[in-house]
Amino acid sequence: MSIFSQLVLNSLIAGAVYALISLGFNLIYGVTKFFNLAHGVMATIAGYSVFYFTKTLGLNLYLAVVLGIIITGLFGYALDKIIYLPLRKRKASSMVLLVASLGTFTAIQAIIAILFTSQFQTLSFNIDTSKIFNIFGGLITQTQLIILISAIAVACGLILFLYKTKFGKAVRAVTDDEEVAKIVGINTNKIISVVFFIGSAIAGLTGILVGFDTGIEPTMGLGLLLKGVIASIVGGIGSIFGGVLGAFILGFVENFGIWKISGEWKDAIAFGLLILFLIFRPTGIIRK
Amino acid sequence: MEYLVHLSILFAIYAMLVVSLNLVVGYTGLLSVTHAAFYGIGAYTTAILLTQFKLGFFVSIILGMIITAVISLLIGLVLSKFKGDYYALGTLGFNTIIFAILLNWQSVTRGPLGIPGIARPEIKIFNFQFLISNNFAFLILTFAFLILIYYLSYFIINSSFGRVLKAIREDEKAIEVFGYNVLYFKLMIFIVAAVMASIAGSLFASYITFIDPTSFTIHESIFILAIIILGGLANLRGAVLGALFLILLPEILRFVGFPPDIAAQMRQVVYGVILILLMLYRPQGLIGEYKL
Repeated sequence: MSIFSQLVLNSLIAGAVYALISLGFNLIYGVTKFFNLAHGVMATIAGYSVFYFTKTLGLNLYLAVVLGIIITGLFGYALDKIIYLPLRKRKASSMVLLVASLGTFTAIQAIIAILFTSQFQTLSFNIDTSKIFNIFGGLITQTQLIILISAIAVACGLILFLYKTKFGKAVRAVTDDEEVAKIVGINTNKIISVVFFIGSAIAGLTGILVGFDTGIEPTMGLGLLLKGVIASIVGGIGSIFGGVLGAFILGFVENFGIWKISGEWKDAIAFGLLILFLIFRPTGIIRK
Repeated sequence: MEYLVHLSILFAIYAMLVVSLNLVVGYTGLLSVTHAAFYGIGAYTTAILLTQFKLGFFVSIILGMIITAVISLLIGLVLSKFKGDYYALGTLGFNTIIFAILLNWQSVTRGPLGIPGIARPEIKIFNFQFLISNNFAFLILTFAFLILIYYLSYFIINSSFGRVLKAIREDEKAIEVFGYNVLYFKLMIFIVAAVMASIAGSLFASYITFIDPTSFTIHESIFILAIIILGGLANLRGAVLGALFLILLPEILRFVGFPPDIAAQMRQVVYGVILILLMLYRPQGLIGEYKL
């Protein structure tokens, strides 16, 4: 019984991390309609910002986390202004944007590796991580509980923002049809830039949480991104609910898939799920 | 001199990868990010056959080609359902799966330990045996394969088959209306390119004499793709120039004075920045004939 509850807990935690990544990814995909492969590296930027602030500058932990999230958001905003906006203005195809984001991802990841070495680091060097909760025989650490709560909070916050505020309405309008949104007087490029800020900040939060839970390394972004993309496609690309649903499905499939085999197969299982969905239901569970 | 020979061999191996992937990405317009997987299948087939079954090098190349052809046929069939961005994503998925198999099927591939002690090829003519142990002889062998692959690609793209590929790239619906079986053409070129990559892999395994899964990651596929986009999509000479650049770049960086571990990362920064700048200012690459 206890191994079963442990697997359920592991699935929920993995699902929460994927959900956070897919929330930001889906939000950006919705307004820009391209696979932003640089999204994962935002998590890396945030993780290393917090690492720098706490370890090198000795800042207060909470201040460092908030600064890390804001800096990552600004990074996303700047990338949109410098790279994606000029491409969109030229009406570049989504493939060109995808390759540009691939370049962005490669360059930023390598720069981080130069600045901080490619060693595995942990963020939780000065906080107490010994607190462990026991739920039906499964164990969950305090950090993992925070991940779970953050995922739920961010998802709810994002849905409230999209459906209850005027700005959120504008974002949804751009997601539905950019041209029409432009015609009715929405400054679409401004909306997209702000969405890049929000999406990247959420990715940043994810990177920081993962950093506290396991640790940070320059290559962590790609794995997170790919899982976020798979979650988004399984759930329904561009749909906020779909992304969260897909993330938890992916978390469960991955963790129960390795019940009897080595944990190293996780990635292969995840991509197997993606390919199954691409073949049989490319629109995802929630059809847009 | 010895070092120059070493660089030339690496250049020839990468040129094979780039020329073959250009057939798929440049000429047919399918953004594939899974080429390192086929490169890896070729390398591992040769490595396993040479170390465990003591078969000849040329037998192992041919077996590697056959295995790659079968696997790429299956992968190609699945991929034929996808278009555009989803195609790129699907190929990324297959590269991850094949990498995971190389890493985790430890009873066959020895997993992260890699396979050491792969023998150099032997050529038997009548009763004389030549062991291609010195690098210069290996260089000639590699270039022979490169020239073969280059001219085969040249022949393919200038044949009626190649014209159909370009037509698929420009307008898939239109060429379908003319009665061409698009699936057949896409599959064929995907398999041909994969088999060429497997030859490059076999040569690589036999030259380096040690392989492990880290040479066949998604990053490797991304680099091959970056070089094609840099050199020029749908241009064979551009692809070869790109490969030359790929091989020379680390040397340039070292010459400028970066320490080796930073030079490796600097290389990636340069690739990334090149991709961004090309997309912003010259999406067809330096001498390419097709824009993404």
